[in-house]
Amino acid sequence: MIPSATIYNPQSAKTLIDEVIERSNQNIYACYQCRRCASGCTVGEETGITPDVLIRLIITGNREEALDNALVWQCVSCYTCGTRCPNNIQSGRVTETLKKMSREEDVIPLNPNIAYFHDAFVQGCTRWGRVNEMEFMGYYELKNIGKHLVNFQFKKAYDEIVLQVRLGASMFKQKRLHLKLHTSRGRKEVKQFYKMALKKKATLKNDKKSGIGFRLD
Amino acid sequence: MEVAYYPGCSLHQSSQFYDLQTRRIFSELGVTLTEIDDWSCCGATSAGKFNDFLAVALPARNLGIAEQSGFKEMLIPCSGCYSSHLMSQTRLRSNKSLMDEINGELAFKVNNHLKLVNILELFLEAKDKGQFDSRIVKQLKGLKPACYYGCMTRFAYDVPVSDNVENPQGMETLLTMTGAEPRDWSYKTACCGASAAINDPDTAFNLMGKILKNAVKTGCNCIVTTCPMCQLNLDAYQEKFCNKAGIYERLPVYFITELIGISMGIPLSEMNADRHFIDVFGLVKELELV
Repeated sequence: MIPSATIYNPQSAKTLIDEVIERSNQNIYACYQCRRCASGCTVGEETGITPDVLIRLIITGNREEALDNALVWQCVSCYTCGTRCPNNIQSGRVTETLKKMSREEDVIPLNPNIAYFHDAFVQGCTRWGRVNEMEFMGYYELKNIGKHLVNFQFKKAYDEIVLQVRLGASMFKQKRLHLKLHTSRGRKEVKQFYKMALKKKATLKNDKKSGIGFRLD
Repeated sequence: MEVAYYPGCSLHQSSQFYDLQTRRIFSELGVTLTEIDDWSCCGATSAGKFNDFLAVALPARNLGIAEQSGFKEMLIPCSGCYSSHLMSQTRLRSNKSLMDEINGELAFKVNNHLKLVNILELFLEAKDKGQFDSRIVKQLKGLKPACYYGCMTRFAYDVPVSDNVENPQGMETLLTMTGAEPRDWSYKTACCGASAAINDPDTAFNLMGKILKNAVKTGCNCIVTTCPMCQLNLDAYQEKFCNKAGIYERLPVYFITELIGISMGIPLSEMNADRHFIDVFGLVKELELV
């Protein structure tokens, strides 16, 4: 897929480019589409869309496509693209930025599980100060299985339960499952950081809705 | 020598035996690891996908604790934790106002002068200082490991790391010292998919299949890693992704500490090596290393 450059609105393109550059701290103007990142992209084969295409989408101001594609969700953050880039663009950071923007703008994730997973992880680690593998996996699975149930996909829900129970049982057998709750006494600070992060997210979202656009506080 | 030690959540839970091995081997080498007091989770890659501020702030708390406890150097064996702390440090260095904002909430303020080391760097330092001399009692002859670095130790955003980014050699240097014969292979810095093994298994299994296929093809008889996430993925899901990719061989996935431990004469059972999913005893027994 090569994004069309014939439909091009310089004004809307500039807004998108500015926001991505500012938030990702990467100079995407330097991209000359050599596609070295594409050849190194770990998930390129699965997604069909590679970092070079993503950058092209941003440059041409195609906001919709840039925020709603497989790479934004399936990128595994291995940062290989960045190590290969001759212009030192860390496209992995661009992808992460787009993922955050896409959630702020309420784009429905192509793969909701990935969003559930990262949310469950962050909530778990900010709740106790440390991540409890059992607990956050529990939250994640509740959301995941719940999604199947509300869509009346009982077979999928059942398969997921069987899969995770089997994994859990084998982990238990290898003594790799720990039931003790791990906490950090200083989790107040961690919780405070979480609150600050939520506030920052809300500000970004409101600014966009009220048409102020993106600004860094 | 005393070094601060950040185990991270994984080394206190599913990869507890890696924590045990790390402590044991460094204490035998004469390096004292002191776990920093009341550390908290670094947020891993999830925090970066949630909010930029959180991704910098979570590791910053641990940096502050280590610095205020008077340490100059901190060992982080988990690659994910290592990478996120390094990223946080770099971001704080270039953004004074962010550092002030974070320090405003912290009991132990960050000054940003801590040196972060991963497990390979500390092992190599010990080797250069000659701390391994006369400690290697067993030559690991016949062991042909695929040194698997994964994506997190070799590189953390735009932060320069000590080893070669595309073709790191740290693990090879260490294992050659123990008498093993590391093979040159193509997937040493490939990504195993990390959390995708749970939330996007199809993708992750394809990635892991490619890694194992290449290791088998180049004649390796085991995989060695330093990352608890890579180890768990390649170990726990090996049966599954091998079936999917049509691979008949199964390779044990060792932590680097286990192989160094064997060569230093520490029995595998004392290192809790029974916690692997793919048996790790068979190979070393067959080669008469234990």
